[in-house]
This record gives sequence, structure tokens and C-alpha cells, in this order.
Amino acid sequence: PPAPLGFTDVNLNSRNTYEVSRRRSAPEHLPHGGTGTAPAEPAPPPQEAAEKARHRLGIAGAGSSFAEFFTRNFFTKRTKELKPAVQSAPGWKLFGKVPPRENLPKDSKIIQQEYEARTGRMYKPPPSSARRKNIEFEPLSTTALILEDRPANLPAKSVEEALRHRQEYDEMVAEAKKREIKEAHKRKKIMRERFKQEENIASAMVIWVNEILPNWEGMRATRRVRELWWQGLPPSVRGKVWSLAVGNELNITPELYEIFLSRAKERWKSFSETGSENDIEDAGASVADREASLELIKLDISRTFPSLYIFQKGGPYHDLLHSVLGAYTCYRPDVGYVQGMSFIAAVLILNLEEADAFIAFANLLNKPCQLAFFRVDHSMMLKYFAAFEVFFEENLPKLFLHFKSYSLTPDIYLIDWIFTLYSKSLPLDLACRVWDVFCRDGEEFLFRTGLGILRLYEDILLQMDFIHIAQFLTKLPEDITSEKLFSCIAAIQMQNSNKKWAQVFASLMKDNKEGDKNHSPAPKT
Amino acid sequence: MGSAEEDYNFVFKVVLIGESGVGKTNLLSRFTRNEFNHDSRTTIGVEFSTRTILVGDAVVKAQIWDTAGQERYRAITSAYYRGAVGALVVFDITKHQTYDVVDRWLKELYDHAEASIVVMLVGNKTDLAQAREVPMEEAKMFADNNGLLFIETSALDSNNVEEAFETILKEIFHKVQKQKQRSSQSNTVSLAGENPSSTAPAQVERRPCCVAL
Repeated sequence: PPAPLGFTDVNLNSRNTYEVSRRRSAPEHLPHGGTGTAPAEPAPPPQEAAEKARHRLGIAGAGSSFAEFFTRNFFTKRTKELKPAVQSAPGWKLFGKVPPRENLPKDSKIIQQEYEARTGRMYKPPPSSARRKNIEFEPLSTTALILEDRPANLPAKSVEEALRHRQEYDEMVAEAKKREIKEAHKRKKIMRERFKQEENIASAMVIWVNEILPNWEGMRATRRVRELWWQGLPPSVRGKVWSLAVGNELNITPELYEIFLSRAKERWKSFSETGSENDIEDAGASVADREASLELIKLDISRTFPSLYIFQKGGPYHDLLHSVLGAYTCYRPDVGYVQGMSFIAAVLILNLEEADAFIAFANLLNKPCQLAFFRVDHSMMLKYFAAFEVFFEENLPKLFLHFKSYSLTPDIYLIDWIFTLYSKSLPLDLACRVWDVFCRDGEEFLFRTGLGILRLYEDILLQMDFIHIAQFLTKLPEDITSEKLFSCIAAIQMQNSNKKWAQVFASLMKDNKEGDKNHSPAPKT
Repeated sequence: MGSAEEDYNFVFKVVLIGESGVGKTNLLSRFTRNEFNHDSRTTIGVEFSTRTILVGDAVVKAQIWDTAGQERYRAITSAYYRGAVGALVVFDITKHQTYDVVDRWLKELYDHAEASIVVMLVGNKTDLAQAREVPMEEAKMFADNNGLLFIETSALDSNNVEEAFETILKEIFHKVQKQKQRSSQSNTVSLAGENPSSTAPAQVERRPCCVAL
């Protein structure tokens, strides 16, 4: 394979002095053609992300194709156009010595148009942004000279030749214009879409506030509301809808929260006074566990969404998160603090007032699936994984077999996804949209989302081996978009030979003998 | 560079275990990406990373499983010890409690991994020397008595991180070589003598002809 990193150097070095000086003398004109389109540039396709993940980012590929382009377009054109010059050595030298400013007034525009026309042509298949970047280094060069007369020491252009050049030039300009119009249309369309989206959110908010929320019980299950719900909840009503949807089976009041919070505070106080390490060995196991969980909360809070800088020590929500988690360990000593909880509490705190966040938190963790996971009830977890695999096989049979061939079990990626309800693995705004529908559809949607992710990246995953799949799924690409993910989730059928998730799960529960054979790691004995 | 990553003779599965917050994830990110995060996110379940290094003239790919540290998770994570040929048991030299429970971690490890697994005790956070609670001699003696390799590291200032991983990978490599000499007819070698291909490739020899560089 060709040396992958050398090509830019080659390119830069082989640009002749004329071009370089031209470029320098009119730098303000150059970027327009190139960067004007940059904002509208679409996110790199998922394949590219996968390539990155596979450590095979197309750099070698881009390099070689660029080199190919380079020789094809640059050298061939050059030798063709400059044939007379090549024949006489002085021509080359003289060409290099042309005073750069001589033709400037005319040049700037020509360069820009020519550049656009040319890049427009070259962009036709834009395989990756890596390649696109390289094209910006493209020799601006000789095409711009097409309207110029030859240097005095060379034979002048014939009339036909000049005409032909004129024509070619006009074509290039026309093409550039066409492209510009198209770009403008595209930009307009994006703006229109964005505007529409904002309008949608605004009108959805009005519907939620004026119609749905006042008639919650009557409307929540209607088709219209369910559809609107799927589109994503407007941020201003999100917390409210979550609260209502999660419910308050446990009948927790804000006063009760205050009671548990003050208990937690007392505990922290005595904990910090006695110190944890001194008496750990003689203390009973339960005390040690409790202390460990207090320590752990402290440790984890700053490790929750660290990039947001709001939960770390000194951050605005640090104490809040501490309070909610601490109160929970007092409220549910049987569950205690389990890693992953801090992410759930944090997302709730971002959308709800303190006491409401606690109420939603406690009720959410009281759902059967969450309880099974946070108690680390291994046999129950294996049932969930088994049910997931039923729908995995149904929806993505090829990928299912691929994973099977590597003995890649769902616990490897599902544990992180389910424990944190995707808030750690997906971008936060996207995670919130998953939570929206999770609140509507229940646990089933968590597993459906997992299948949606697998579907979204199916093509890439099929190319990967065990360790790359494991790495990829435990650290998903950051550029994952809600449109793509939700269309993939929508395509996942939660129906297995007329059985829905709940039925499949129930039959697995009945089937007690089966289960932890070879689907997932064996439980601790 | 892309291809070098994939051309290896051995894959060694190594697990990182130890209490929460001792710096497992940072040790790994320091070794595989030369990165350190003051607030790296809590590990839930298991995360993965790889790095390929040269041992003698063999190319060894370390496949490292970074596990969650909380006690509660052990029920899940202990299953990931299966097929591992190496383990780094990490503690924090500034928190005696994380050293006190090393015994329990070892028991957990030997319960679920092959007996021949190479284990290294790692005292991390030597950059916080002024807050040290575990004397190096004590940990060293413990390691010697229990047949463990021992090293102190700092993921923050990179001290000994490279050495830690290199040492254990070399040790595994030599063990595998010895094993191979003993049972030289098979192409696939395993420390425990069983086929390791089930959960993950533990140590698979590939393209032995390509060793020379």
C-alpha cells in the first residue's frame, strides 16, 4: 500500500511557486469556495465512525485514492496543458517566475469560481470527510489559466483554441452557479426543517400543557397522545410527564423525603466524625457495607456526567445529587446504593425539582426490571437477557448468529445500558428521548432501544470480531442522532410469533429449569 | 499503522479488578491511549481496551477487561474472569481499606479463573505519596507470600504503568511458551489446557510464521 501519510506533503511541495504565491496573494478569496459549504456538511456517516472504531479509518484508503486522483488530474492535465512549456526548459522557469500580482484583479473571482466548479466536480462521490479535506489541498492551478494567454515566449493560442477555452470556462462557471443554487436550496431546506422542528416543539408544548396534562388519565393512552409522545416530550413538560407516567405507587410525599434526607445527613455527620477506616474490621458487615456505600456515593457523584461540570464538588447540583442518593439509601436500605444509580438520579435532577426527583427515582427503581438489576438478582437478569435474545434473533437474525459465533452474550453491553437507562452510553438529549418512550412503554422499550442500536450499527458490527464489538458497544459513537436511532427503534418489532415482550418474559419465568445454561455467564455459586 | 494493530501472534485476556475508585479505568486508559481523566465516569459492568506490544519478537495483543469495582457487581463481573490468563488486582496506596480487601478479590479470582492465571498486585496512586496508608514493603511482602507479581504505579503521572502491563504480559508469554514446549502438537495453547475459545479468545496463537519483523 502507498505510504498513507505522505500525500499532503507531496501535494504541497509539488505545487509550483506560481500557485503558491497566487494562493498567498489572495488568501481571502480562497476559503469561500471551500468553507462556504462547511456548515451544511452532514455528519460523517456511521460507517466512518465504525472505521475509526476498527482502527482502520480510511486514511490509507483516502490517501491512495487521493494519490490516484492526484496523478490523474494534476499531472495529466499539467502535461497536457503545458506540453509546449515542458519542451522548452526556460518555459518552466519562466512560468515559476511570473510575477504573482500581475493578473490579480481578474484572478480572485476566477480562482473562486474555478475552484468551486472543480471541487463541485470532484465532490461527486464524497466518500468521507477525510477525503474531502484532502481535496481542499487540491492544486488550484492550471485550470484557472484557461482564459489566459500563454506567456509571450510560447506560441499564442489559435482562435479555435481560445474559443474552446472560453466555452470550457463558461461551462465551469455555469456548473459552479448551479451548485451554488443547489447549496442555497439545501441550506434553506435545513433552516426550514429546523424552524418547523422548533414550531413543532412549541405547538406540542401547547397541546401538552393545555390539553393533555389537565386530562392526563383520560388521554395518556389515546393514539394521538401516544404518537405525540413518541416524537419526544418538549423539555418544559418533560419532567412533569415523566413524574405522571412513572407514578407514585410508593406514596412518597415531599415530607417523607425530608425525613429520609435528614436521617442521611445525620449519618454522614457521624460517619465523618468517626472516620471509616479505623473500625472497619471490628464493625459488623452491614455497618461496613453502609459506610462503603456512603463512601461510594461520594466517589461516584463527581464521576457522574463529569463533562457537564455540574455534579462535581462545587458544582451547582453536587449537593442535590448527594441528597437524593443519600436519602434513597436510608429509604431503601435493602437495596442501598448501587453504581449506575447516580446517573439515573442525575437525569431526574436535571428535569425535576428535588423532592419530585426523589419520588420519581424511588418509584422508577421499584419497577420489576430495575429492582432485579439493582439488587443484582442474577437469575432474573438472565431472564431479561434471554427475553432480549428472543427478540434479537427475531429482528436481526444475521447479527444474532454473528454474535453467537463469538459467544458474545448480551450482558456485555446490556448491563451498562439497562443499569443507567442509556444515560451513560447515549448523548444526554438522546437518552432523554429514550426515557420519554420508556416512561410510555415500560421496560420493554429499554430492550427495544438496545435492539435499535444494534440495528443502527448492524452493518458495521457484522464486520467486527469479539473484542471490537465489545469495545464498540460499551463505548458508542458520540455522533449518534435521534432521527436515525428512532427510525431503527421503530423498525424493531416487539412481537415474537404473536407473543409480546411481557408474554415472552412470563414464559421464560415459568420455565425455571432453562435459563442460565449458556446464554450468559454462569451465576455465582 | 492500522495493520500493525491486527497482526499479532498472541491474544492475552487480562482482567482489571479491585475496589471502586482505585484507578482501574485510568490505569487502562494510560496504558492503551496515554490518557488520564480526573473524573472518569464510573464503570458499570465491564469495559474493554486493547493494545499490542512486542514481547521478544512476538507480537502480543493485550485484551483488557476493565470491570466495575462495587461489591454488588461481583456476581456479574466474576463471570468475566473466565478465560483470562492475567489479572491486575489494583488497590489505592492512600486507602488502606482497598488493600485490606485484596484477599477477597484474590479468592473471587481463583474461584472463577484458571488456577494458572498470572496475577499482579498493583498499588496505584504513588503520586499521592504524602497520603500513603499502605507501606510498600507490606504490600510487597504480601505479594511475595502469595506468589503474586508486585508493582506500584501512578496512572496520573504515568509512573510504572507501562512496566506493569509489560511485566505481566511477558510473564504470561513465558508461561505460555513453557506450556507450548510441553504440549507441542497443538496449535492452540492454553494455560489450563482447555480450549479457551468459548467466551473470548484467551491466548490464541496466530500465523506463527509471521513472527519475524
